[in-house]
Amino acid sequence: MAQYEDIEAYRKYGSEPFFPHHVLRQAIQFLAVFALLVLLASLAPGPMLPKADPFDAPANVKPDWYFLSAYQFLRLTEKLSFLGQWVPRVLGVLVQGLGAMAVWFLPFWDRNPERHPSKRPLAIRVGIGITFFLLAMTLWGHFS
Amino acid sequence: MTEEKTPAEEPKRDASVQKREEFEKRTVFTEMFNLFSLVGFLYGALDERLSVQEGMQRQFGKPVWFYRTRLENNLLACLGGISFLFYLFQVVTGVLLLMHYRPTTAEAYRSVVDITNHVPYGWLVRGIHRWGANLMIVTVLLHMMRVFFTAAYRSPREVTWVNGVLLLVFTLAFGFSGVLLPWHQLSYWATSAGTDTLSAIPVVGEGIKYFVRGGATIGQLALTRFFAFHVVILPGLMLMFLVLHFLMIRRQGISEPL
Repeated sequence: MAQYEDIEAYRKYGSEPFFPHHVLRQAIQFLAVFALLVLLASLAPGPMLPKADPFDAPANVKPDWYFLSAYQFLRLTEKLSFLGQWVPRVLGVLVQGLGAMAVWFLPFWDRNPERHPSKRPLAIRVGIGITFFLLAMTLWGHFS
Repeated sequence: MTEEKTPAEEPKRDASVQKREEFEKRTVFTEMFNLFSLVGFLYGALDERLSVQEGMQRQFGKPVWFYRTRLENNLLACLGGISFLFYLFQVVTGVLLLMHYRPTTAEAYRSVVDITNHVPYGWLVRGIHRWGANLMIVTVLLHMMRVFFTAAYRSPREVTWVNGVLLLVFTLAFGFSGVLLPWHQLSYWATSAGTDTLSAIPVVGEGIKYFVRGGATIGQLALTRFFAFHVVILPGLMLMFLVLHFLMIRRQGISEPL
């Protein structure tokens, strides 16, 4: 067989061949996911809403749940527009855009060499904070 | 200097000579057959040129790390793979839906009703596509959180993270463009509100909104545009970046345990 790079690391942490061991695990996951999807599709099928009518706007239109936090944040900043017309645009769009950029290039500015969560408390706290903030925004958007 | 050969070298040379002689014995017909058949891909003429078999053996035999620690157990390491499984389900069910869907404002809604009520197992395919889409976003977000909290994005895996965030963006774009396609009340007005928020972007917002909608309001052009985006452009883009993502993981292995 061919020689592999990092053979020492494989020995140190334990490894399994891609085929058939790893593929078998994946096959089990595949069947489990398939079963879950069939179960959900059977027990909770999607609703058949009325056909789109451009002249009849429903009362409470919201985007899907995965855009709800961003949408709610934008609406929140619109309520602050008494401070000036620039507030919704700067806070709602620019802050979210810059936040997304910061997440995108995270590995290039997060230079802390430690990896264990107990050794990088600030990053963990910020991460948990952002997670709960987005969850709260989604829930607020859902129930408002 | 004697011309002695070590015993190990002797059979090796013999084998290669034998292989060459066998190759020369072949007729044009077997050569052609091997070139254009699966046999040729694995054992015949094509394999001799491209060494497919050796490459496959290398890839299939290459080990995958696994380890169980308290923080990073196998369930958390599965999330990315499960997201990919959802992508595969979306591709298969999406192609099946594509066989019956009609992307016009007059017919789209009717065709979705037909898929749900008349096409054999259409309700199941549509249900799996709908549930798979939502669950895929959940698993992609959880996978991202796992990578963040275990700091698996650190050097030398920066590019894998940057690539992964792009994959998240593609996943969300899939959701956004897919919602309009059934052409029901919620899809129409949610897309209307969603594209409306684009105009909040300074300077270029109005232009982007006009481009995405294909006009001032959502109509046939928007539906065609979203349809093309959802079934052709995004799947191809996503597949390209997925392959990159997997090649990098395969090359570098998953991050070392904490």
